[in-house]
Amino acid sequence: MDYIVWKDLGPLTRLVMNQLHYLGLLFMIVAYSYKIYQIFQYPSAKEGTPPRGDHQKAIRYSYMTLAMPWELDTQKHHMYRYVEFALFHIAMAVGIGFAFILPMAHEFMKNSFIIGFSKLFFVLGFLIGISRLARRVYSPAMRRISTLDDYFCLMLLTLWMFSGILAAPLKSELFLFAYYFFATFFLFYVPFSKISHYVYFFFIKYYVGKHFGHRGTFPKKGSMPTVKNV
Amino acid sequence: MRQKSQNAIAFNESFKKRTNRQHVLSFAACAHCGTCNDSCHYFLATGDPKMTPAAKMDKIRQVYKAQKDWLGRLMPTWVGAKEIETDEELLELQDIVFGSCTGCRRCTFNCPFGVDTAALVGLARSCLVDLGYAPEGIKVVMKDQWEIGNQMGISKEEYLDTLEWVQEELQEEFGNPDYKVPIDKKGADFVYVVNPREIKYDPRSLQAAFKIFYYAGLDWTMGSEGWDNTNFGLFSGKADLGGHMGNLAYNHAKKLEVKRMIISECGHGLRSTKWEAPNWGKANPLPFEISSLLELMVDLINIGKIVLDPSKNPYPVTYHDPCNLSRSCGITEEPRFCLNRACVDFREMIPNRGDSYCCTGGGGAMSMSEYTGRRLEVAKVKADQIRKTGAAIVATACHNCVDGLSDVIKNYNLRYDYRDSKTPSLLRVCNVCELVAEAMVIPAEIKKTAAKAPQNAIKGKKVLVIDDEPDIIVFIETLLTDAGFKVVTANDGMTGLEKAKTEHPDLITLDITMPGKSGIQFFRELRSSAETANIPVFIITGAIDFRQLMYQKAVQAPDGFMMKPINPEVLLMTVNKILEKSVRNKTVVN
Repeated sequence: MDYIVWKDLGPLTRLVMNQLHYLGLLFMIVAYSYKIYQIFQYPSAKEGTPPRGDHQKAIRYSYMTLAMPWELDTQKHHMYRYVEFALFHIAMAVGIGFAFILPMAHEFMKNSFIIGFSKLFFVLGFLIGISRLARRVYSPAMRRISTLDDYFCLMLLTLWMFSGILAAPLKSELFLFAYYFFATFFLFYVPFSKISHYVYFFFIKYYVGKHFGHRGTFPKKGSMPTVKNV
Repeated sequence: MRQKSQNAIAFNESFKKRTNRQHVLSFAACAHCGTCNDSCHYFLATGDPKMTPAAKMDKIRQVYKAQKDWLGRLMPTWVGAKEIETDEELLELQDIVFGSCTGCRRCTFNCPFGVDTAALVGLARSCLVDLGYAPEGIKVVMKDQWEIGNQMGISKEEYLDTLEWVQEELQEEFGNPDYKVPIDKKGADFVYVVNPREIKYDPRSLQAAFKIFYYAGLDWTMGSEGWDNTNFGLFSGKADLGGHMGNLAYNHAKKLEVKRMIISECGHGLRSTKWEAPNWGKANPLPFEISSLLELMVDLINIGKIVLDPSKNPYPVTYHDPCNLSRSCGITEEPRFCLNRACVDFREMIPNRGDSYCCTGGGGAMSMSEYTGRRLEVAKVKADQIRKTGAAIVATACHNCVDGLSDVIKNYNLRYDYRDSKTPSLLRVCNVCELVAEAMVIPAEIKKTAAKAPQNAIKGKKVLVIDDEPDIIVFIETLLTDAGFKVVTANDGMTGLEKAKTEHPDLITLDITMPGKSGIQFFRELRSSAETANIPVFIITGAIDFRQLMYQKAVQAPDGFMMKPINPEVLLMTVNKILEKSVRNKTVVN
């Protein structure tokens, strides 16, 4: 089967891929800007005591723990979950990159390495999505904390990844349409959903790092304080 | 929609007003990933899905979502958004935030985002407390801190009396009749601020600290006011109380013009006094430094002011990291530095430092007797951790932890085989400073100048021993008789009450678990009768639920307690302390 010829794409696919997709992005930016504005309307807890640790170092550490599973005791004992988490989020990043680069560089995206690379992560994202969904359904502890939004987001992301597997070879307009349909839907829905956690991440990690750094708790394994004169 | 109760409306309103930026981020960032599940001892021990940190916080988060989340306001069911509607829901929330979370922050350290569960619990607690939804023990302690200025309702006379008693004990130990515990010494290098438990029930850590200060030749003082480092502002979420308690200590320290404030070994005491209360009470900047006794001991060892001989502590010792010290104050290496030099065999508990599990007594749990059963059930995680170390002694740097761990050890029967007794003994729990004091090499230039002073004033005092176990009665009776006391005995609460009226004892030692009238019933009746209300009571028990008498204080609290098995040295020390204070008080009154 031959690659899709870009100028032959139907008007609906073009609408979703271009106008709607970018409109969605604009909406998301506006919505998140407003959300962030709302967060900053709340008073921040103030810390007026002299610091015991290094704020900057602690804030860096706070962000970096995401890439240091050994720093989280529970992750240390469930490394496979961490690998799953990392691959799933990389797959999402690949999916987003694919969706935004394709309209601008469709001929470049027909490179077999890029297609293979994207497909690999779409497959991984899909399989991990299924596994995470199964855990949410079968584990009583996970079921207890799952809202309808949690299930909906995970199901939709998994379907998006599936559509990505089919769309990545760039040979079927129908699959491409499906892929962009999901991607565009997400741009409108994500600011309302739990998927917004990636935006909050940057703010909460800053405050957590600052708070624990102030007290000398972060980075976790601190060194001995300097000896004072008695 | 259901009609909301008045309390529910008030809760929702105050919740909305008190939510700050950090709370909002902790509410909004949770992705329900479940990483925190395995970090919580409540979930690990019970496997109950309701006990995961995320599940518990969702009970609070649902209110935030209903008030602020966009989808929560449009489609509440979709994201699990719901404001509190009934008084029953408030009770359920009370059970969660007071009875199912000690605010240890282990989940925060394990959350990929750092969702601060303890801060959210504090927010919910503060809103509940204002409406009267709090365990009785918390309410009583809050009242005592507001009205009397310390968590155990200790009067100034009783406080000074205890210091005097400790002074006399140390005069004997040091062989120095001129030794004085300095009180309100202006311009001293530091003021030592303590936990009321040390004053009221267990002055061993006080004695240990004073001994270290004496042999190191430090310039220090105790304050006659503002001496309580504990702060139920932290446990109740009430910043006004937190600020009040902090300011009591700061203002007195300012008056004394000290350079530093040293906090005795108390996890939440250090956290509150050093980190939280200056913010709550708007006391920043303070004109003095605040440090932990642990930091001071490190300095003293480092510069050679105290020299330690580890062979004086020959048995294996492990260290429990108090949550407030390790996760909220960054104090992890100092106790290890001390213990490695004070003990021959120091063993790490795994996991430790910022990953350590809670002793289960944090967050004010020791004062909430209604949750004792649950607390001990979830303590299995800690018990397993301790058991694996094979240690004989569990050292810690927090009085809450000392009590919490003692209960864990008792409940899970954790023993160490010393090989010189028939049966292995229950593990000992102590503060780090006690082991440091035990290991101290007494400087050669300090000569003992006086012999032990006899305690004639309490010789021949009558002690009523109430216990249903004949062996225990004989044991206590022998100990006390040998020490010069008269002893009468009773083997149940009923007989005990009669003898309390007819024999007019000077002190009663009381067991709690007895057939018929329990020790708790006995104690309440004794305290309720004018004839017997003022007889000092020393509780000696294996049961853990006696703590309600210490914290809820429907009647005046007991004068001392110790856990079985009986340590003869501690028993005699406590009996002496109670009787000497009682004699002194009577003399003052006369």
